[in-house]
Amino acid sequence: MSLENDPLLNISNSILNPYIEDWQKSNKKVIGYYCTYIPEELLHAAKLLPFRIRATGTKDTDLADIYMVRFTCSFVRATLDLALRGNYDFLDGFLVCNSCDHSRRMFELFNLKVFNRENFNKKVPQFYLAIPHVITDEGFEWYKKEVEELKEELEKAYQIKEITNEMLLESINIYNENRKLLRNIHNLRLQEKPKLTGSEFLQINIANSSISKDIANQELNRIINGLKNRKPIDVSNKKRILLVGSIVDDIYFTQLIENSGAFIASDFLCFGTRNFNDDVQLVNYDDPLENITKRLYYRLSCPRMMDDHLRRLDFLKEEINRAKVDGVLLQRINNCDLHGCDNMLFTHELKELDIPVLNIDREFYQSDTTRLQTRIEAFIEMI
Amino acid sequence: MVNRVEMENRIIPYKMLYEAVASTQGLVDGILPEHGIPSLKLGLGHIKSVMEDFIIKAGEGLPIIGHHFSFPTEYLYCFDCVPVCIEGTSYFLAALLPNGSEPYYDLITHWGHPFHTCTSQKGTMGMTLDDLFKFDAIITPTAPCDNTYASYPFFKYHKEIPLITPDLPFLKAEKSYRYHAQEIKLGLEKLGKIIGQEPNYNKLKEILELENQVTNLEMEIFELKKATPCPVENMFNVMAAAAQIYLAGREEKLEFYRQMLEIAKFRYKKKEHHAGEEKIRSIWPYMIVFFDLAMCEWLDRHLGMSILFDIFNYNFADPINTQSGLETMLYGMAKKAMEAPMTKQSAEFYYPFIENCVQLAKDFSADCFIFTSHIGCKQFGSVPQILREALRDEVGIPMLLIDLDVGDARFASEKIIREKIKLFAQTLL
Ligand code: SF4
Ligand code: SF4
Repeated sequence: MSLENDPLLNISNSILNPYIEDWQKSNKKVIGYYCTYIPEELLHAAKLLPFRIRATGTKDTDLADIYMVRFTCSFVRATLDLALRGNYDFLDGFLVCNSCDHSRRMFELFNLKVFNRENFNKKVPQFYLAIPHVITDEGFEWYKKEVEELKEELEKAYQIKEITNEMLLESINIYNENRKLLRNIHNLRLQEKPKLTGSEFLQINIANSSISKDIANQELNRIINGLKNRKPIDVSNKKRILLVGSIVDDIYFTQLIENSGAFIASDFLCFGTRNFNDDVQLVNYDDPLENITKRLYYRLSCPRMMDDHLRRLDFLKEEINRAKVDGVLLQRINNCDLHGCDNMLFTHELKELDIPVLNIDREFYQSDTTRLQTRIEAFIEMI
Repeated sequence: MVNRVEMENRIIPYKMLYEAVASTQGLVDGILPEHGIPSLKLGLGHIKSVMEDFIIKAGEGLPIIGHHFSFPTEYLYCFDCVPVCIEGTSYFLAALLPNGSEPYYDLITHWGHPFHTCTSQKGTMGMTLDDLFKFDAIITPTAPCDNTYASYPFFKYHKEIPLITPDLPFLKAEKSYRYHAQEIKLGLEKLGKIIGQEPNYNKLKEILELENQVTNLEMEIFELKKATPCPVENMFNVMAAAAQIYLAGREEKLEFYRQMLEIAKFRYKKKEHHAGEEKIRSIWPYMIVFFDLAMCEWLDRHLGMSILFDIFNYNFADPINTQSGLETMLYGMAKKAMEAPMTKQSAEFYYPFIENCVQLAKDFSADCFIFTSHIGCKQFGSVPQILREALRDEVGIPMLLIDLDVGDARFASEKIIREKIKLFAQTLL
């Protein structure tokens, strides 16, 4: 099986895709979001298509630079740039949370400058979800209320009589199945003779976030069946790498790594393990929304959770063993404080465990390819 | 038997700061004429005496508690402790020492801390990496920005200092105040356990009452600034920010504000400007430049430009109700903390900030805004252009935007910054 021109993976190369067009033709809505801390199952149960906003393929951020100073995250700037050019006009809703200082300000900027543009006449409902920055019982109660309020707001905005428990339970099953399928594919790249590359796996994850999970599950099953018959990839002369840090939504970066003598055997990314590692546990059938919120809140965290660094470190250690990696590549998009600070701690902690580490900063868009390649090649040679 | 020197050496940078304050005060007293820059003279005098007191307490072995300024210093006075503001230390050293906090910024940056983070934490992180600070515990809310809550885990995970992190939610609403009040209470209890003390809420009540009196005086001075010429010198903004941290909850703070109010009233009556003539009235909606505090006086004297206020001087919370029981008091404390500069903006959309700025520009007859776009402040990174447009469209005044690091002259030097302001001022006159 070749994944090269696979229709699912191709979705990852552009923003819009045929599935979205079909979805909207049948009068269904698409809601854009930035961060994996939002309750996707709730949106799915409301028959909305959650679309994870990204900026795949962007080469500069001229338009967005008017509104965001240069020391803001170049990924977020790139998404705004696309939006100002009209690439996100297809959205029928917009959900932002306070994941980081850069992305949370998109609420205002989309409101004032994107959805309020001249000749843009669609009314796009906007929603905001406030997430605690620590993992505590009190924080959970706060978050639960936020999600409950979001449910009411969605019902009102899209004139849904009620998002019932049955609908939520059905969505939970579909999403749990989706995460299981992603874990199965992840296992196929973890092994000594992997069936797919890190770049291919990234494409699958990106595509998965851009279409309805009902369709995605069929597609992922198709991919798994195909991979079973695929010849393993020869990675015997490559170094196995764990890729960690800021958002990666473009295979230009993973290909750059994999063309430098590495194989990305695993990752700790939000278009990766962080998104499918944990399932919703149905502990309380009477309150599926609570179960959804529990997973979101207590799952494998990202650095926005300031008191959970050790659990993240533990995950890295486990994954280093599981994927039998030779080294860890920590990366942050320039100006990303959250991953930058977490990576700083990881660097020292992993070095103490004698695990080779490279900690790099990069622009989101493809501007410093040569510098990056040189550093990565040097690291690969060294380990 | 407590070894006083050893105990004091837990806060070496604080002692360095004390020395710097003392020698600056000596210079100010010796060089300036009797009525020259009263805020500086008075402020330094009070700060020196409070710092002296805390150094003695550190010598006696009281616990050293580090905190972010979003956890107001006075809240820590329910304990017998020495509070050290992480951000205050970085920036007041940046202001008073020749090379500022630069060696410590470099130390932590070489250790791997991202260059684009805020120098207000970087300095103290570098000092702690170098073991110049030995905190018994640190408390910081999860605010006001990514920089902050991403930087503090360094203290916990690398230096193994107990870190308490009361959550401060996004969105200012009743439920947020109640939530944060509960977080403050839990945080103080945890802190108490670590240092072996019970929070003394009666003592805290008295301190908060004193702070309420200060707030009233602050409001009076703020009102007087509407007058033309502004009856308060630019340096007052700096000293008020310093007082917020170093004089919190102390009689000296009350005294400082009383004295400054008298001076402001006197000048107001006489329509007198501190430096002769006021030509331009500016508002700095964000920070002043900490590594070049002399710029305040330079603006007054050379350009006739008043800084009506900066971010640390226009956010006022309601006085805290201390008379209706602990829960109400904690609620008031939460509200006050969430109204604090930067924290306020981190807990709301930026519409109120823009509206405030427009309103302040009108109420205070401002001629222009100067926005210092500090490299660390990502939460403000998408505000300047929107603010500029609002000021242009609704008030008809311009805004100068300066990219800099308010704590590190190597990013944009004082010469460059002053030059930019000078050219901007020429376009206004
Ligand atoms: S890469 Fe960092 S700064 Fe950018 S959106 Fe993600 S968390 Fe925020
Ligand atoms: S809000 Fe800005 S100045 Fe304040 S701590 Fe954060 S980065 Fe520093």
